[in-house]
Amino acid sequence: MNQDAKQVVLIKSSPKMTEESTSGLLTDKLENLMKTERLEIYRINVRKSLIQGKTEADFEAMLKADALVFVFPLYVFCLPGMLMRFLQDYYAFGLNRPDRKKTRVYAVVNCGFTEAGINQEAVRVIKSFSQKTNYDFRFGIMIGGGGLLLGAQEAPFMKKTMTELGNSLKQIVYDIKNCPDDRVENISITMNFPRRLYHFMGNRGWFSMAKKNGLQKKDLYRKPYERYTD
Amino acid sequence: MQAILISDKEYQTEAYKRLNQLVTIFLTEKGMKLTETQLDRNDLAFCKGCFGCWIKKPGECVISDAMAQINHGFINSQLAIYLCPVIFGQFSSNIKNALDRCIPNILPFFETRPDGSTMHPARYRSYPKQIIIGYGDDLSEEDRNLFIDITKKHRRNVEVLIYQGNDAEISQALSQMELKKAGDEL
Repeated sequence: MNQDAKQVVLIKSSPKMTEESTSGLLTDKLENLMKTERLEIYRINVRKSLIQGKTEADFEAMLKADALVFVFPLYVFCLPGMLMRFLQDYYAFGLNRPDRKKTRVYAVVNCGFTEAGINQEAVRVIKSFSQKTNYDFRFGIMIGGGGLLLGAQEAPFMKKTMTELGNSLKQIVYDIKNCPDDRVENISITMNFPRRLYHFMGNRGWFSMAKKNGLQKKDLYRKPYERYTD
Repeated sequence: MQAILISDKEYQTEAYKRLNQLVTIFLTEKGMKLTETQLDRNDLAFCKGCFGCWIKKPGECVISDAMAQINHGFINSQLAIYLCPVIFGQFSSNIKNALDRCIPNILPFFETRPDGSTMHPARYRSYPKQIIIGYGDDLSEEDRNLFIDITKKHRRNVEVLIYQGNDAEISQALSQMELKKAGDEL
C-alpha cells in the first residue's frame, strides 16, 4: 500500500439486490478514475454490509478514510431508508472515537425524474450528516433522468451528457487529491433528451415489463386495498 | 373515522412520549379510531428496488412483512400521522423504510403537474390526510428547514409540523387542520 496515497471509501447505496443499478455504474466510473489517479479505494455495498453483518469492518475503513463518496438513488425525494440505517449506525459507532479524521465528503445522487434539482434535499442530508460527524462536506453531483444512464450511455445523443458527467466525477477525484479549500457548488447533470419523450418511453416500458410478467395493461391499475370510496 | 399512527420504536424519547400522548388524546377526542404501529429496526425489510409492486403484483409489495398491513390501513384511513425522529434533517431509517415502501400505492408512470414538475399518478381515488410530525432534541434551524423541504417541497398532500416541546403549538396546528381524506393529489 502506498502510504502517501489518499484513502477513499466509495459507498454504493442502491437498494437493488443483484440487478445492475445506475448507482453501481456511477461507482464503477468513479473507481476507474480514482485508480488512474492512484488513490487507495475501499468499496462498500451498503445492502451487503447491512445484511451480511459486516458493518464494523466497513465503519472502521470509513473512520480511517481521507474521503467518503456516497453514491445513491433518490428514494421518495430523499435518501433510501437503507442508507439512513447505515448512516445512523455509523454515527453511533464513530461518535466517541478519538481517531476520527477531518474527512472530506461527497454525494452523487441520481433520480428517475428528469429534474436534477429534485436531488438537492438529499445532498443537504449528506451535508447535515457531515456537520454532525465534524466532517468536511464538499459538494454533490445531482443527476436527473438517471434511467437513461444504464441503457443509453453509449447512444450518440448521450455524448454531451456523458462528457459533463465524466467531468463532474473527475472534479471529485481532483478535489480529493488536491484538497483545495475553496467552496465548490453542487453540480447538476440533466440528460440531453426531450422530457416528453422520456416520459413516453418510460411509461411504455412499464407496460412492456408487466406484459413479460403475464399481466395486461389494465392490471397495472389494480386497487388491491380499496375497500370503499368517500 | 379511522386514523393510523406510525412511530419509531428506536427513538422513544421523553419528547416522543409527550407527543404521542398529545396526539392520541387529540384524535380520541375527535372520535377517531386509532391504529398505532411502532416500527423497530428489524420490523420492515428495506425496499429492494425491484418494482414488483408495479409490474408483478400491482399495488402490493412483493416482500411479506408488516408493510402490507400498513398499506392496507393507510388506504382505508381518513388520517395518517407519522411521529418521526429528525435525523440529519431527514426521516429516521425506520420511518423512511415505511415511506419507501408506500410506492405500491401510486402508479409507476410519469406525469407532468400543472407547475411543470414531474410526479407519479395516483393509484387510488383518494388518500388519507397525511401529517408528519418531526421531533428531536436541539434541532438546528438548518435541519428543521431541511425536514420541511423534504416533506413539503415536492408533495401537495402532506402537512408537516415540528415538535420542540411546545404542546400548545401542536394542538393548535392540529385543531386547524381538516382531518379527512385528501383526494388524489400527491
